[in-house]
Amino acid sequence: MQLRPRGLTAALLVSVAGAAPALASEELQNICSSCHTAEENGLSRISGQRKSPEGWMMTIVRMQQSHGLEISAEDRRAIVQHLADTQGLAPSEAAPFRYALEKDPNAQESFDEPFASMCSRCHTGARGLLQNRTAEEWELHMDFHVGHFPTIEYQALGRDREWYKIARTEIAGFLAEQNPLETAAWTDWQAAEKQPVAGNWVVMTDLPGIGEAYGKLTVTGDASPYQVSGEFVTADGTVHPASGQMNLYTGYEWRANLDIGGTPYRQVLALSEDGNSLQGRQFDRGNDALGAPLSGVREGAGSVILGTVPSAVPAGEAQVQVVGTGLDGLDASAGEATANTFGAALSLAAEGNGVVTFSAGGAEGQIAHYTSVDSLRVEPEFTIARVGGGSDEGPAAVPAYFNAVGMWNGSDGEAGTEDDVRIGRVEAQWTVANAHEHAAHMKDTEFSGVMQANGIFLPAIAGPNPDRPFSANNAGELTVQAEAMGQQAEAMLIVTVQRFIDPPIR
Amino acid sequence: MKPLNQKAERVQQAAADGQMEEVRAMQTVTAGCATTFDPGWEVDPFGGLAALCQPMEADLYGCSDPCWWPAQVPDIMVNHQNWDEGAPNAAKDWRALGTTYPTDAET
Repeated sequence: MQLRPRGLTAALLVSVAGAAPALASEELQNICSSCHTAEENGLSRISGQRKSPEGWMMTIVRMQQSHGLEISAEDRRAIVQHLADTQGLAPSEAAPFRYALEKDPNAQESFDEPFASMCSRCHTGARGLLQNRTAEEWELHMDFHVGHFPTIEYQALGRDREWYKIARTEIAGFLAEQNPLETAAWTDWQAAEKQPVAGNWVVMTDLPGIGEAYGKLTVTGDASPYQVSGEFVTADGTVHPASGQMNLYTGYEWRANLDIGGTPYRQVLALSEDGNSLQGRQFDRGNDALGAPLSGVREGAGSVILGTVPSAVPAGEAQVQVVGTGLDGLDASAGEATANTFGAALSLAAEGNGVVTFSAGGAEGQIAHYTSVDSLRVEPEFTIARVGGGSDEGPAAVPAYFNAVGMWNGSDGEAGTEDDVRIGRVEAQWTVANAHEHAAHMKDTEFSGVMQANGIFLPAIAGPNPDRPFSANNAGELTVQAEAMGQQAEAMLIVTVQRFIDPPIR
Repeated sequence: MKPLNQKAERVQQAAADGQMEEVRAMQTVTAGCATTFDPGWEVDPFGGLAALCQPMEADLYGCSDPCWWPAQVPDIMVNHQNWDEGAPNAAKDWRALGTTYPTDAET
């Protein structure tokens, strides 16, 4: 399937918009041309840019909020579809910055100067680098910042330098070179044959607070919105039915809203260029901090092993799901394997610490069984949560999700070295402690929130707290502690204040 | 002299206890702070919370109105001019302060 040339876009967008007014490039022109003028290559400003679907959506929302654009949600999404399909990003262009699209709460960026202080001091660097523009457009983008955020030159890391001069020369130039409008990657991707997304997908993820899960999703339809249905299954065999819709942008950007066992989830995934695998993150739609990586493989796409559910097992009798496709005749170093619709079921009766390996059709995998661990690791090692709630208007509290991972020392007998063996997720007891003297003085553990037994920290309510010194917010600096099988590990958690502007790309 | 707020009381107490050496003006704590106080929004320049305004509602508009954290907090100067409607006193009316990105604007 090729990305549709402009003449055919009308048919695509009619099916997208349903009963909404037919939208094609002509209608896009009608809606946008009251401000944007027609130029040789399209409409002014718009024609000089390429962005992710989220980037285009944020631009249209800004047109509504700052420039009085009135547009229905259906028309807005249809325009995003059109622009992301015709002026999107190639898979390789988006790849380094998918963490921002996926809203990964634990991603940490590191950029060189002056980009770090000029751009990513306010927003993620990814927000800028998930765009490609002409040199002129990048210059206008600097002016846009001064116009919309006039104190940008007076803020910290602005007033200590010739901000505008640096923006117009160094930053605009850097971005024009780094992310130009025209690239070989985009030209090649436009010409590449796009693979159909419909079909059956075997998937593996983690449902925070519920457990590691595998499943199958069936995609039907031939244009956005596609219908998605299927199920997720946790290690104890509980089935969580899944159904919803998915929009596919730029030939590979999978955006789905699914109801999974009664909870709304969102998927931000990338379809591989060969159309046979999915990679991304699935999260609670109402609370994107609660999510996990999701991988998928097209059913019947050769022999592929995504992993196991659970990721590791205590020694003894255990039922393991090897998740993948084409795993008939799975050959395991221990236990009995039986192929099933999610890959293969593996019945284990393993003693002590060890690893069971398995393979089928060239695909290989393994699972560890354990009676002891040499050390623990808390993942993530650092993250933030946010106070929230307490009103109908304000942002909800943003929790933080931790997992304990068991480790063996490896052949050198020392913990924390390169040859450590990752066992997998283990059950742990969770507590929080004040991170330092000031946190203890402020009694952060009493005020900032509650650590649940499932590794999810729930922050306290927003607003000034008259019970704290200076009526401080329920912010806090905590050490998250996990204990399992006689081992302990820690992570750092900062419980901070709300975020009132929370767009798809932060 | 009578202290007017909790901070002034702390200074008076510090003077009485001979601990004035430990009293610091905020701009010496928060790196980059000059004529206007501008700690970060989520964390201070040291990666913690100690140098943030607390509670943030106490001086929220003093910083957010002139667009001090443009990506996190709505400014009423240019981009979100009605954000503080119905909430003249952030410390008392914080429950009326909402989010600005429309929930239906999903891809």
